[in-house]
Amino acid sequence: MTILCVRFQLPTVYEAALPGLLGLLEEFTPVVEALPPDGALADLRGAERYFGRGAVELASVIRVRALALHGVDCMIGAGPGPMLARMALRDARPGVTCMVPDDAVADFLADRPVAALPGVGKATARTLCEYGLDTLGRVAAAPLSTLQRLVGTRAGRELHEKASGVDRGRVVPNAVSRSLATERPFSRDELDEDRHRRALLSAAEELGARLRAVDKVCGTLTLTVRYADRSATTRSRTLKEPTAHSAALTRAAYDMYEALGLQRARVRSIALRAEGLDPAEQASHQLTFDPADEKLRRIEEVADRARAKFGPYAVMPGALAA
Amino acid sequence: MPGFTHLHAVSGFSLRYGASHPERLAERASERSMDALALTDRDTLAGTVRFAKACAKAGVRPLFGVELAVEEPAPEPVRQERRRAPVRGGAFIDESTPRVTFLARDGARGWADLCRMVTAAHAGEGSPLLPWADNRGDGLTVLLGPASDVGRALAAGRPDRAARLLAPWRETYGDALRLEAVWHGRKGTGPGSLRLAARTVGFAAEQRIRPVLSNAVRYADPGLGPVADVLDAARRLVPVDATKELDSGEAWLKDAGTMLGAAERIVEAAGFRRDTAHRLLEQTQATAAECLVDPEDDLGIGTVHFPEPHLVGAGRRTAQRALASRAAAGMVLKGYTRSPEAVLYWERMHRELDIIAHHGFASYFLTVAQVVDDVREMGIRVAARGSGAGSLVNHLLGIAHADPVEHGLLMERFLSKRRLVLPDIDIDVESARRLEVYRAIIGRFGTERVATVAMPETYRVRHAIRDVGAALSMDPADIDRIAKSFPHIRARDARAALEELPELKALAGEKNRYGRLWELVEALDALPRGVAMHPCGVLLSDASLLSRTPVMPTSGEGFPMSQFDKEDVEDLGLLKLDVLGVRMQSAMAHAVVEVERATGDRIDLDAVPPGDPATYQLIRSTETLGCFQIESPGQRDLVGRLQPATFHDLVVDISLFRPGPVAADMVRPFIEARHGRAPIRYPHPDLEEPLRDTYGVVVFHEQIIDIVDIMTGCGRDEADRVRRGLSDPESQGRIRFWFAQHAAANGYDAETIRRTWEIVEAFGSYGFCKAHAVAFAVPTYQSAWLKAHHPAAFYAGLLTHDPGMYPKRLLLADARRRGVPILPLDVNRSAVAHRIELVSESVDSSRRWGLRLALSDVHGISEAEAARIADGRPYASLLDFWERARPSRPLAQRLAQVGALDAFGANRRDLQLHLTELHRGARGAGGGQLPLAGGRKTAPAGLPDLSSAERLSAELGVLSMDASRNLMDDHRAFLDELGVLSARRLREVRHGETVLVAGAKAATQTPPIRSGKRVIFTTLDDGTGLVDLAFFDDSHDACAHTVFHSWLLLVRGVVQRRGPRSLSVVGAAAWNLAELVELRAEGGLDEVAKRLAEPVPEGAGDSTGGRRIQMPTGYELHPWADLRPAGQEPSQVRKLWHQSPGSAG
Repeated sequence: MTILCVRFQLPTVYEAALPGLLGLLEEFTPVVEALPPDGALADLRGAERYFGRGAVELASVIRVRALALHGVDCMIGAGPGPMLARMALRDARPGVTCMVPDDAVADFLADRPVAALPGVGKATARTLCEYGLDTLGRVAAAPLSTLQRLVGTRAGRELHEKASGVDRGRVVPNAVSRSLATERPFSRDELDEDRHRRALLSAAEELGARLRAVDKVCGTLTLTVRYADRSATTRSRTLKEPTAHSAALTRAAYDMYEALGLQRARVRSIALRAEGLDPAEQASHQLTFDPADEKLRRIEEVADRARAKFGPYAVMPGALAA
Repeated sequence: MPGFTHLHAVSGFSLRYGASHPERLAERASERSMDALALTDRDTLAGTVRFAKACAKAGVRPLFGVELAVEEPAPEPVRQERRRAPVRGGAFIDESTPRVTFLARDGARGWADLCRMVTAAHAGEGSPLLPWADNRGDGLTVLLGPASDVGRALAAGRPDRAARLLAPWRETYGDALRLEAVWHGRKGTGPGSLRLAARTVGFAAEQRIRPVLSNAVRYADPGLGPVADVLDAARRLVPVDATKELDSGEAWLKDAGTMLGAAERIVEAAGFRRDTAHRLLEQTQATAAECLVDPEDDLGIGTVHFPEPHLVGAGRRTAQRALASRAAAGMVLKGYTRSPEAVLYWERMHRELDIIAHHGFASYFLTVAQVVDDVREMGIRVAARGSGAGSLVNHLLGIAHADPVEHGLLMERFLSKRRLVLPDIDIDVESARRLEVYRAIIGRFGTERVATVAMPETYRVRHAIRDVGAALSMDPADIDRIAKSFPHIRARDARAALEELPELKALAGEKNRYGRLWELVEALDALPRGVAMHPCGVLLSDASLLSRTPVMPTSGEGFPMSQFDKEDVEDLGLLKLDVLGVRMQSAMAHAVVEVERATGDRIDLDAVPPGDPATYQLIRSTETLGCFQIESPGQRDLVGRLQPATFHDLVVDISLFRPGPVAADMVRPFIEARHGRAPIRYPHPDLEEPLRDTYGVVVFHEQIIDIVDIMTGCGRDEADRVRRGLSDPESQGRIRFWFAQHAAANGYDAETIRRTWEIVEAFGSYGFCKAHAVAFAVPTYQSAWLKAHHPAAFYAGLLTHDPGMYPKRLLLADARRRGVPILPLDVNRSAVAHRIELVSESVDSSRRWGLRLALSDVHGISEAEAARIADGRPYASLLDFWERARPSRPLAQRLAQVGALDAFGANRRDLQLHLTELHRGARGAGGGQLPLAGGRKTAPAGLPDLSSAERLSAELGVLSMDASRNLMDDHRAFLDELGVLSARRLREVRHGETVLVAGAKAATQTPPIRSGKRVIFTTLDDGTGLVDLAFFDDSHDACAHTVFHSWLLLVRGVVQRRGPRSLSVVGAAAWNLAELVELRAEGGLDEVAKRLAEPVPEGAGDSTGGRRIQMPTGYELHPWADLRPAGQEPSQVRKLWHQSPGSAG
């Protein structure tokens, strides 16, 4: 059993190209899981026998096709499970596929830092390093009970298994892009509330337009404010109803921003991320007797069409035009 | 055309507001032909004295005032919009309080009113605000400008409200009230707009209040607007926002013609005829003319006020009589009446008392004696320093320790009938208890007579870069890097330093990336950016102190602090007593306490036997790390050459190690003569007496005084005056003539006079006051005695109070070398401070003492935590420790990392895990089950223990010391591969050999030296001893950056020997050893070879083009010498060269 982890080298914010590339992978195997914004997992279980080629050879074929058809280069890691394939990807370069053989899993993992393990975030890695468990070999050697005391019962067990090379993950076909993000950087430390709001408005408008373009609605909106000292504040809000309506997104973004109460913080960028994307046709919408909402949505629809025809700047909110 | 006087002008003393120094304002006023100028700084009068002096120099009449934030008489209930607390970055600085300008009008009364109001404004919490109740003063003129409540109402278009707000002002100040119109060419109706200025003038006419015109001056010259923007940004802690309203650039000291133009525009806009402008200017001039405060008479420059005699133990007697009787009592007490030279002492005492009576300084002596008595009573070590030690009366009163008659110290150097300046007695106390001393002084004399002295903190290059960088929205990481790469130089030298300093080469390359940064940094030069309490000055006065100086509380301790700094205070004739906190005194006190606690022996340091051979042997061995005054590399070298054997030798040694004597090369002839390699010469047999002790070389001021006195017969007081004149080249010529004439009259031949004059001329201004040196040498001897006889206690004292120039880890290395066992931190044994502990006792009852490390050295421990841990000892188990000592979790983790909890079993990482769980349990998350094995020991959890390198790294991180072993030991194998010589083996190397040395940097200096070159001196510690290195300027291009910015160094150099004990290495190339160690570990020796093979930048030699600073004493100084060097101080280093992801902490 071999899993491939593919990362396409897409130009930034070009998620729209991903579905096409996933289609390319689906020519080899039906079991493809999208890893937005630019990656995918593919299970080659049947493909190897069907095509009569090894995983590394298939990887080369995939790369050639991606370049020929889409003009997009890619890096590929291969391993016996999704986790190992992802880890192998870190060592891969375009043209050099990194493969973890079934029998060398322990050696492959032993000297790797704990942070390299998928699912081990900064906090867990810091905790483990504090206790001298800085490599996966050491984590595997530590008693299970101690690991569970360190990071919790369930996480401890999973960590122990993963570090020992037991990869229980499966490739789950989904073919859905799960989040969209956009960022508005400032050229200098920006304290002005109006300009912050303008950035939020423009980001929310963009996210809405992009969501509507791929017929998706988002359930959660995340605001990230980055400061001059490279730190950041992140706030998330689950929307009352999943939506792609720009006005609703903007409202949610403003609410989160106001809750921060920023005064003297030196803001260098504001980023919005739409998460929990679902197909638009599955979304429910609470109807109201207020005609304003209905009107707004229809105006938005018209504006979208105008933008499609005359470019993204053809129609925009007045606050952004100045 | 009528003249014009600026009634509202601020200087740089208005913190982060004014952009020009008061001197500059005075100069400009004079250049722009103004007769008078007011200084009205924000919330402070600190610039007053400098301004008054500058005005006197520029020929401008000074007006004094202040701009204060004033509480509203009846604060209206404003709808307070409650703002959410920001999650990041903090709230805006609130500057919404109205501000009003007050001018002192009525002489001393006006000045006293100003002082009182400034003091009242600072009395409250938070930013200075004048309570309405204190807003009164008969001697003041008040200007209500655009920033006042009245001005704001006008700006808001509410003349009705303005009239209402005006009423309380008019009631309080009546005719002394003025309305101030300001036009800065702004638009709209806000401050600085033409419309507001016109409304103000119109409103004044309507209300029958006299208007005045001002320019609300913030800087002296046009074009300084951007600097004002940066200051605004630094004050409000926000970046400059070019899209918002910036400084108008108009607030400069405009001349009369321009102001007339402004007045014309304003009156026209107000609807008056154009020639009314003259009336406006006349009103302004008239207001200025009313403000009559004379710097001499009214500020009290030049008069002295001592505390009232009854407060200093004189009772109903006069101070002079009380002093005389106390001195006589001292004679008896100290046993001088029974000595064979009793007459000598009596005579001297009476002579000194005469001089004191002549000046009327008796209360001063009694005051100092009172303070010293109080301090001694509190059990605090106290010693006089400075020229005051030359007075027998001081000695008899118990102020000075050393007997001036025995040591040949002269009263005239301190005080004489011809000396007009205030005498200056400095006292040294234990630094750790300095604030207690202050409290005692305040308690004795009361807050109305005592105040500490301010010390303005001014912008130097690093702070200027930080503030300007933040204002310009630069990346904080960039700002930090740029600021740290500069040595501690003046801000105005920033660009010159970039051009010339080799260690800034890399930065100079990217200089253009930062736009206006450099220009603005230089513009901030020397502007005050904050004010702190001066570390030693205390003002003592009679009860009128508060009407002569504005006082504010210090942050933290809340001591009353005068806003004037050290020089101002002297000019104002306020009596200042310097109470210096000396860490060495604290360290010695701690050592004595430790010896008594551990052994029961009571050591009286002031009575240690003089001439102790073991002590002098220690000093001669140059292992004087930690000894007062003789621990620096230069001093160790000098001590090695001088080989002191008596107390007098120590006095000479300390006197010789001064920039003057070193520059004048008095050291070499002295040492030659001392070791009999050169004959002792006197210019004349009459001069043998004063010069005998120093082998014919002039070392002390006292000797010059004696020489001049003997040759001319002018008396010692006149001779001291002559000596002072020597440093001034102008008067030197006159003195020379006078000297030759009088000496010839006394029968000396021309040749003798010529040779004597050469000596006097060359050394006169350089020598050192012997009284100072004697006062210094006492603690020097005492500390060396402690080091020789109670080493463990001595190190305990040093480490606890951290005196001296070296990082603590170096003292620890020294202790290890001298055979003092270092006992690790242990919660069951360590106390708050460093302690001594019995390690072994042998048969002949000679006991070996070890040094137990202190809890207070743990990074981030609070005093309360340390005390709680120490009080709760002993602890039976980890749980016991956790429950009773209640350490914070990070602290407990740190203690575990350095092995302080090793006694509880399990390895250090397991302990950390247990601690984390205890912490979780304490928060009530359940998990109260503690895996204990046998109740006492903690059960192992199977985590890997800290490796040896990790332990060392933890020690450095937590204690800033490598406690278990020297950190260089780990690299021994690599250093042997390179063929590096250890410090111990270096002693056997011959002069002129090329060697490799390595070690951790202990201290780096670029002192001023005789050749006028910049030499980098640095000291390396490699575990076996110290290596002193010197880098001359031909090697700076190659080495300077590496030396300043690396902590571990590998250096190639040539051995220099100047005596049996004098050895240094002249560096030719330097590498960052940490980098090499890493290369060795990763890539083997070949990688190291590759790094060593990299070309070294060619030395261009002197990059200053021969520029030198001429010192007033005559010798030349390299422009970049004598600075705190770039990079981080070695004592601040808390990290090993590299931290692996697995390292602790």
